[in-house]
Amino acid sequence: MDRTTILSELKKVLAPYTENKAMLDGINEDTDLIKDLKINSANLVDIIIDAESQYNIEIDFDAAEKMYNVGNCIDVISEKLNRTV
Amino acid sequence: MKSAGNDIVALKTIDIQRTNSPVFYSKFITVTEQELYQQPQFAAVTFECYIWLLWSVKESVYKYLKRADAGLVFSPTKIKIKNINTPLTQPVFGLNGKVWESDHAIEDFYTGEVLYGSQNLYFRSKVDTEFIASVVSSSLNFNGVYWGIQYIDTPDYINQSTQVRLFLLKKLKSVLAVDELKIEKSLSGYPVVLQGDMLLDIPVSFAHHHQFISYSFLLE
Repeated sequence: MDRTTILSELKKVLAPYTENKAMLDGINEDTDLIKDLKINSANLVDIIIDAESQYNIEIDFDAAEKMYNVGNCIDVISEKLNRTV
Repeated sequence: MKSAGNDIVALKTIDIQRTNSPVFYSKFITVTEQELYQQPQFAAVTFECYIWLLWSVKESVYKYLKRADAGLVFSPTKIKIKNINTPLTQPVFGLNGKVWESDHAIEDFYTGEVLYGSQNLYFRSKVDTEFIASVVSSSLNFNGVYWGIQYIDTPDYINQSTQVRLFLLKKLKSVLAVDELKIEKSLSGYPVVLQGDMLLDIPVSFAHHHQFISYSFLLE
């Protein structure tokens, strides 16, 4: 799965947790989940769990703590997907 | 270290079923912290409440430490709760007047110690039926720590953000007896207080979640 496809699916994971739908439509790898999408930090674990389910991967503690912007999320998901191939 | 850190969780928004799933809480609660819950003092505390109590403490610690370390990444399992003391008496909470503010009074808080690397901090938390709020300090007695919680009618993000700044400014203006204060964000993302264009040496922190907002600051 390429980064563009992961980003596209990541929007679906993030959608329930942001009020900023216009920003969500235009996210890029520099978009910060908290500063830009205004996602409450209390939902970060939800996003990790939802991403695990969406991509059928397991995200460990060390990887999860990097998932604060879209690019980092894609890095983690991409790495986990490659390991499961 | 001179800093401030607080957090608030609106319990109305949490997913109780998900919170009680090991897949969820094991992402940020260590095995040792899970074992702390088995102590008799937590018999009357629901597990989901316990989990979000620990989350709010860890988030508060992260905010406290990030002021000194701009590159710090939130690693909740590395922020370790050493001990938790439950209130001695049944607390009577509720935000009837929509605002609660504490200066230095000791009330019926959950209290305890938390460790990040070699940094030891103390926390106080209020556990209400509608929210859990925490504040941290390097001082056991929370000397100079001001802490406030407010209920807001409209939960949208912009209103939360606006109202928490107004709430904090109102308290700062009252305590400092000055009017020309404003809140801005530093390049690292933490809030700072300015009087005109002058940066004040008052560490501040704020948090907002759904219909609850909260501030803390340190004034020595």
